[in-house]
Amino acid sequence: MSNSTTILLITLLIPVVSAGIAFSVKEKYGWFIPIICSLLILSAAIAILFPLFSDPQLTEQFSKTWLSIDNTKISVGILSTSITRLMAAVVLFVSAMVHIFSIGYMADEKNTDRYFGFLGVFTFAMLGLVYSTNLLITFCFWELLGFCSYRLIAHAQQKTIAAQAATKAFLITKTGDIGFLIGLLILWVQSGTLEFTYVSTTSDAWTTTAGVFIFLGVVGKSAQFPLFNWLPDAMQGPTPVSALIHAATMVAAGIFVLVQLVPVFTPDTLWVMTWVGITSALMGAVGAWLVTDIKKILAYSTISQLGFMILALGLGEVSGAFTHLLHHAFFKAGLFLAAGSIIHVMHQATHQANVDVQDIRNLGSLRKQMPITFIGFAICAAALAGIPGTTGYLSKELVLTAVHNKNLWWLELVVWTIAFATPLYIFRLLWFAFLKPATHELKVNEAPWIMRIPVVLLAAGSITFLFRSGHLSSFATQLLQTEIEIPTNIMIMSLLVTGVSLLTACLSRNLSPRSSEFLIQNFLDVFNLSIVRLTVFTGSLTSSFDKKWIDRSIHTLAYGKVALAHLTGWADRNIVDGSVHGVAWLARGFGGITRSVVNGKIQSYLLWAMAGLLIFIIWMLN
Amino acid sequence: MPYLSLLIFIPVVTALVALLIPARYTRAFPWLTIGVNTLQVILFAMMILNYNLDAGLQLQEKHSWISLSLNNWGRLQAEYLVAVDGLSFPLVGLSVLIMLIATLSSWNVSKSRKGYFTLLLILNGAIIGSFCALDFLLFYVFFEFMLLPMFFLIGIWGGPKREYASIKFFLYTLLGSIFILIVMIGLYLSVQLPESSTEVVHTFNVLHMQNLQNLIPGSVLDSAKTGSWRLWAFALLFIGFAIKLPAVPFHTWLPDAHVEAPTAISIILAALLLKIGGYGILRFVYPVFPDGAVYFSDWVAGIGVVSIIYGALNALASKDLKRLIAYSSVSHMGFVLLGIASATTEGIAGVVYQMVSHGIISAMLFLIAGVLYDRTHDRLIENYSGLASQMKHYTVFVLIAFFASLGLPGFSGFIGEVLIFFGAFQSQSLNNLVPLWMPIVATLGLLLGAAYYLWTIQRMFFGPFSVRANFAELNDLTSREYAMLLPLAIAALLFGILPQILLDYINPFAEVFTNTWFSFGINANP
Repeated sequence: MSNSTTILLITLLIPVVSAGIAFSVKEKYGWFIPIICSLLILSAAIAILFPLFSDPQLTEQFSKTWLSIDNTKISVGILSTSITRLMAAVVLFVSAMVHIFSIGYMADEKNTDRYFGFLGVFTFAMLGLVYSTNLLITFCFWELLGFCSYRLIAHAQQKTIAAQAATKAFLITKTGDIGFLIGLLILWVQSGTLEFTYVSTTSDAWTTTAGVFIFLGVVGKSAQFPLFNWLPDAMQGPTPVSALIHAATMVAAGIFVLVQLVPVFTPDTLWVMTWVGITSALMGAVGAWLVTDIKKILAYSTISQLGFMILALGLGEVSGAFTHLLHHAFFKAGLFLAAGSIIHVMHQATHQANVDVQDIRNLGSLRKQMPITFIGFAICAAALAGIPGTTGYLSKELVLTAVHNKNLWWLELVVWTIAFATPLYIFRLLWFAFLKPATHELKVNEAPWIMRIPVVLLAAGSITFLFRSGHLSSFATQLLQTEIEIPTNIMIMSLLVTGVSLLTACLSRNLSPRSSEFLIQNFLDVFNLSIVRLTVFTGSLTSSFDKKWIDRSIHTLAYGKVALAHLTGWADRNIVDGSVHGVAWLARGFGGITRSVVNGKIQSYLLWAMAGLLIFIIWMLN
Repeated sequence: MPYLSLLIFIPVVTALVALLIPARYTRAFPWLTIGVNTLQVILFAMMILNYNLDAGLQLQEKHSWISLSLNNWGRLQAEYLVAVDGLSFPLVGLSVLIMLIATLSSWNVSKSRKGYFTLLLILNGAIIGSFCALDFLLFYVFFEFMLLPMFFLIGIWGGPKREYASIKFFLYTLLGSIFILIVMIGLYLSVQLPESSTEVVHTFNVLHMQNLQNLIPGSVLDSAKTGSWRLWAFALLFIGFAIKLPAVPFHTWLPDAHVEAPTAISIILAALLLKIGGYGILRFVYPVFPDGAVYFSDWVAGIGVVSIIYGALNALASKDLKRLIAYSSVSHMGFVLLGIASATTEGIAGVVYQMVSHGIISAMLFLIAGVLYDRTHDRLIENYSGLASQMKHYTVFVLIAFFASLGLPGFSGFIGEVLIFFGAFQSQSLNNLVPLWMPIVATLGLLLGAAYYLWTIQRMFFGPFSVRANFAELNDLTSREYAMLLPLAIAALLFGILPQILLDYINPFAEVFTNTWFSFGINANP
């Protein structure tokens, strides 16, 4: 195992250590947990920079057999390529930021042991998935991600609504996971191995089926149509957790797996992906426009952005999608953490009054009160909107170019629509939260520095810089050495669309948003609920079948047997016994007669003897 | 050292000793039992050291038991033959562990301790004997010997409806044993010792039964006959063990028995007695009647899939926590049938893995139900809410047990299920025994499993705290309960993270099963 792989292994184990410390430290020393865990994850984030910057071209694999039966071998190991290293670095960096932010955010909360423990496991699961050399191991970590998100969404477990959201999240993603499992099993049957380096398939119907099933897993995990309605509900979790889920772990896992698997997917599978991506991107954008909850707006925006990536992957634009994933991790984490700051300080300002501080209509003019958070939020929002100078712009252009090269007018129309819609909703959020005159008279303080630093750092990572060659580049394009050549017409068109979008947003800024998710959320909720109801109903049906039919037939059998037993018992008493009794009775009858004869008197014996002798003599004489 | 005989007969002899102790020394009985359990654990540890991973059947003990000349009828021969291999060795280990935990969980039994612990000891010996016996008659004796203690343990120490439950349990299982008996007699009449020269020596030796060349030409179960009788025999023997497993529709004794049985007996029932069903199919039904197995493979897999889905749906509808766990057992044992039907190396190894894993996890689940029942004497899910805030450590174990049972990677349940799926998915292309749609449908069982467990957690453990039952105190776990749950949790985790430590034992068996016995049977009967 080389040095760089060793470092990767260490970065994988540090979150486990962090979680272990969090779970085992006594409650008395609870204050100690957030600090030590944050430091640990931060050290891992720094450690991974060494292999990251050392040699971008290096590709290594270290693996050991984990499970072997007959010819089936599953190995665990570390796959070290430029993609996995970069992904892991982003995961660790975002996780470290979330940890540090949580020191402030969770300062007044209880159960920090559980919180930081599961943050550690969550980070570990994502890193394990990134480093995995085998699809089955990927699936293991994939499931572990689901479990951690379940536990973190239900962090406030006394709140029924949080528990429900967690259950919903787990079950809906699990639905996708079942698809993933089926897909990987079919893939295994077809190709005989699940090692990433060897998986190769021919493009037949089975491979398409396997691909579509695996993609179903991604649909669940990355909250795509039609399995996305767990994500807005998952906002019940603490806000830093949302940042982690949306940026670096849960939903990113789906895209990352696709990045690795797209080469073995058939054109048909890719086509399915494109369509799901288009639908989700559009629905997410509409949803973000319709809701008023600050976290839900960001949640729908994630759905939209992930749809955008999946659309790009479906078109075969792997590097564009992957770059966008990394960029998205930074600015979305920044947005969520800034939103967390807002919620945190508003909560303190309102003193738990009955005000929904997450409703953007209750916010306003936070720019003056929270200047640094505002700047951070604004930069990240610009990156989401794809304004030049930000990382989001770069990766968006990459995808737009790829779409343009496909020469499909309707596809281009869709993508431009998404590009138009995104600035619209994020600008409105910015306006309502920071710029618009406030409706309230609250004294709001800027968030503590420990919460500002992560936001600022994440915002800083969302800015592009000018590299030597004169090209704009971000950390990701630089490390991946992506060739960025954006055709001039795309660039102009893109600027135009963004400009018009911002102008529209500006003009319509005071248009009060409708607080209605009916179109999307409620429809799917009804759909889900009917499936749940149907399942529970089927359960009660089978249960009554168990009692009414199976048990009853057994009871009938038992009663039949008992009845038979009674019958034979009766027969025994009346026929068998009866005949025996009859014989006995007869015997007794005869016996009575003979007994009356045998009465023990010598005289009567003599008399009978005499009579017998007399009869004998008479008989002899005849 | 005759390890297996010691394992089997130490508890039986101790039971006889226990009978001599006056009943008023109530503390003696649990200590005596736990002494036996500890001794068994030590013996098993020594067996691990002496176990040779490359050899098949080992630690064999063979003594002649019955040998009776029947003149024209040949010679009747039954042996005391015990040995372990990759199938039975993990199950024996599981039995030793579970019996120890069952004793611990019976610590507070108050009613007639002498009888209770004596029966527990007899049960102990009978269970281990069933897993080790390789002579069909010997197996049958042990098998029947399990019934009686179980009947009394449920019928005397059980819940309010204990009589009904115990009689139902007894009659169901007895029906199964009658089927087994019929086939056993048929097999006895049809199998002869291979080395017998002049006279025909009928044998109960299972190893000889597994070799089709030992069938007496012209006998009732001769494979050369176009074998409707053999198919019947397969079906009867299979049903005999499927009742024990239990498979739908022979399963309704299980929920009742579980709900009424005391915690320790539920643990033994779920963790060990159900495994006899799977063990019997792997040891007797499939190797002896491979032709029937091929013929009925669709049915076996189909019953498995139905059990998976049907059990899970019933669990979803259960209002009683123990009933829910009982139905989840039905669902998990469905995977065993699915894996067996595939008859692939991965599938068979997965089945053994699943049985061990289910033994560990179901014991945890019933312990958990018992912890709550001890405190409140109520098992209705709807009467609880928000337990997580009051019983923190308990909730941790509940989460471990539930997620282990629903197949979260990292726990042993996942390995067993995924290996079974490996086997079942490749069966269609490999040996064409299980059609592909069956395992695909079976994956729904995983989703339903997640559904009923998470729903239970949501209703009982999350939300605001409230309990609608009479209870004195709702304490968190006691140290005794810790001592029972922790080893099981560690075992579930260990076998989930490092599957190879168990697979090293199982693999040789799975390979012999598919490559020798099973393919031998298929080839001999085109």
